[in-house]
Amino acid sequence: MSLWNILLDTLTQGSIYFLIAVGLTMVYGILKILHIAHAAVYTIGAGVGLAVFKLTGSFWLALIAAMLVSGLVGVIIYRGVYFYMLDQPRIVPLITSVGLFLLIEDLLQKPYLMGPYQHAFPAQEVFPSITLPWGTIPNAQVMILTLTGVALVALYLIFTRTRLGLAWQAAAQDREMAGSVGINLNRAIALNFLLGSALAGAAGVLVGVFYNSVYATMGDVPSYKAFVVIVLGGMGSVTGTLAASFLLAFAETVLLASVGYVLPRDAIAFLVLIFVLMFRPQGLLGR
Amino acid sequence: MPEKTNRNTPLLDIRNLSRHFGGLKAVDGVSFQVNEGEIVGLIGPNGAGKTTLFNLISGFLKPTAGEIYFRGLPIHGKRPNAIARLGVGRTFQIVKPFGELSVRDNVLAGMGHNIYPSLQAFLHVYHTPTAIARANDILENVGLAAYADARADTLPIGLQRRLEIARALALSPILLLLDESAAGLTHQEAEDLAALIRDLRDRGITILLVEHNMRFAMNLCERIVVLNQGRILAEGTPEEIQTNPAVIEAYLGHSGVVRREA
Amino acid sequence: MGYLISIATFACIWAVLALSLNILTGYAGQVSLGHAAFFGIGAYASAMLTVKAGWSFWPAFVAAILITGVVGGFLGLPSLRVRHDFLVLATMGINFVVIAIFKYVSFFGGALGIIGIKKPALFGWTLRGPWFLALAALYLVLTLWISAYLSRTWAGLALTALREDEDAAEAVGVSVPRFKIYAFAISAALAGGAGSLYAHFLGSVFPDHFAFVESIGIMSMVVFGGIGTLRGPVVGAFILKALPEYLRFVGDYRYAIYGGVLVLMMLFQPQGILGDNSWLWNKIRRRIND
Repeated sequence: MSLWNILLDTLTQGSIYFLIAVGLTMVYGILKILHIAHAAVYTIGAGVGLAVFKLTGSFWLALIAAMLVSGLVGVIIYRGVYFYMLDQPRIVPLITSVGLFLLIEDLLQKPYLMGPYQHAFPAQEVFPSITLPWGTIPNAQVMILTLTGVALVALYLIFTRTRLGLAWQAAAQDREMAGSVGINLNRAIALNFLLGSALAGAAGVLVGVFYNSVYATMGDVPSYKAFVVIVLGGMGSVTGTLAASFLLAFAETVLLASVGYVLPRDAIAFLVLIFVLMFRPQGLLGR
Repeated sequence: MPEKTNRNTPLLDIRNLSRHFGGLKAVDGVSFQVNEGEIVGLIGPNGAGKTTLFNLISGFLKPTAGEIYFRGLPIHGKRPNAIARLGVGRTFQIVKPFGELSVRDNVLAGMGHNIYPSLQAFLHVYHTPTAIARANDILENVGLAAYADARADTLPIGLQRRLEIARALALSPILLLLDESAAGLTHQEAEDLAALIRDLRDRGITILLVEHNMRFAMNLCERIVVLNQGRILAEGTPEEIQTNPAVIEAYLGHSGVVRREA
Repeated sequence: MGYLISIATFACIWAVLALSLNILTGYAGQVSLGHAAFFGIGAYASAMLTVKAGWSFWPAFVAAILITGVVGGFLGLPSLRVRHDFLVLATMGINFVVIAIFKYVSFFGGALGIIGIKKPALFGWTLRGPWFLALAALYLVLTLWISAYLSRTWAGLALTALREDEDAAEAVGVSVPRFKIYAFAISAALAGGAGSLYAHFLGSVFPDHFAFVESIGIMSMVVFGGIGTLRGPVVGAFILKALPEYLRFVGDYRYAIYGGVLVLMMLFQPQGILGDNSWLWNKIRRRIND
């Protein structure tokens, strides 16, 4: 594997990890809920995107629809479920979230929704491939890298330049305090779910197009991989999550390229998770 | 009943004890002793290191430096459960009852200290008539007999503080560490508590207590150790402490005088 | 008839699983979403000892219980460092890693699993159908008795104490690390026995039988029936295991039901349908008292 390919794979995989994990990080930062059902939102995004793409033939409409529906589902999950558990021990929303994930995923597998099959998502052609002096970026990767770049800039602006971003940061520091200084917490948290879930939906579409495949259980791996990312990233820090996404992608790419196959990479990720939880609970990149 | 220790060895001997949290020296080179049969008070302003010191003695924190001897035995570095089984009972400033258990079962949990280390704990049933009778005795003692069957987390806070004492007494302690047991009590409740503590001392239990309520500590204790910023500022009888200029300066600050009321 | 017996056998095995998780989570307060790993370890231990090492069922059954107990105590080590929701993540991780080992290490038969596991025999007479059900029921009764007895011993009191408050438990002389490991070991050992029975009932084991979703299923049985009680996990397991097996349209939605049960119970009746002070249990008790 050439250096160029390692770089490209790392950037692509890392972008995907980040888009999925950033929503989890934002939720964890404010509510301290490990929101496993986030992975189901990602699958819903992919499914809605594909359906709209088949209907209209437009990738952009598909992306927007996926983000809207996913965002909405995220808000519904918050207002309909987690909202009633904010004062409970953290274990309660976690168990609930696991249940929610299983419930949604099982329903998605039914024949009237996605069924147990893989569906093609042939939208790669929307983007051009780019040839640079040292190598070519295939069109699907151009898509992922540009759109992740756009998302990053947007996130940066929202977090640093808007009242909403400041409200999130305040709430992440101290929820009660933020509420008492006049921040409309409910609205801020709902918008937090809206944005995080919309990004997960976008990630679903991008992954679907990248692998040209959408299926009901595509959320399985991200459901726990995203936790590896946010634990590595120091729980609740967006920049930590960004760094951890690319670090994990790099480690996996290099490991796969050099050592090959010992255990599946997901088992390795989980071993890493267990050891980090035990010996560096503040995260690899946390203080 | 606790056997007599050598008269010359203090019951609790703290030597040059320090505990640092990063740059903060919560306890910084503290040495003092508690003799058998005493009631010793540990006072000091907020953040003086009183609770840290308690956590060090009971093993919930490991010292950064220094030693703690209990009946001549080094206990620094031992786990809290081992120290508890040696006969050091403690209460918590922020009460920690076993909330879903009955008040009586809370006390019974303390009575199991000798059997927990052995696999026999898996063989013997704890609701035996003798154990229950003893738990009831202890509850009677601290005035909680009427609440024996209530769920612990339904008690008001004042009674939960008493339950903490009852649970510690179930260990048959030689030394009892009381962390602000009088906090939030009315005058009458505090008087009752003081009477209970004197009664325990008369039955051979040595008491070391952290107290915020100055009047309570001055009335009850025979000896007082004043902590300030992790160090010992003064040590002596309540009278000596009340007239100690350093204490008045550093701790009692603006009010200037401590009145001792009978 | 044979079909009903088979469903009843499954229900007994899952009731044991639910009761064993109840010791860990209900008694000792250590929430685990990796219980299927212990189930799998017991099943694989028994399968390998009989198929590959040629043991007969009975010593393999006992060995499976012991092996799973020891491995369970070891896998409980993370609980000494991480608590609450992070412990849940760690136990999930353990489940995935254990399954990956079964799946990708050829020593354990890989994705093809282990087949040809014999039914137990007693005095040269093979236990099948109702007789195997009797064996599973006997093991369920044993597990019930152990659960009931444990809750009345000093050790059971120590487990409850550490569930309620770890610091206070230490302050009354309970070694919290030691009792956490005990809880993991006992819970795992009982689940290991269930795994052994499952392997010999089915005649084959595959890694996916012990996947993470099965852990969620066991947890939902405990939560549905009423965590911390004896009746709850048993009733939960019989309803949530037997119903999907018996009614085909329910079976199609098995996992959706497991998931939905968790969500609904957490929202509306966290103590379970038969937990103390639950709506249904209060009603039943009033009826009995009248």
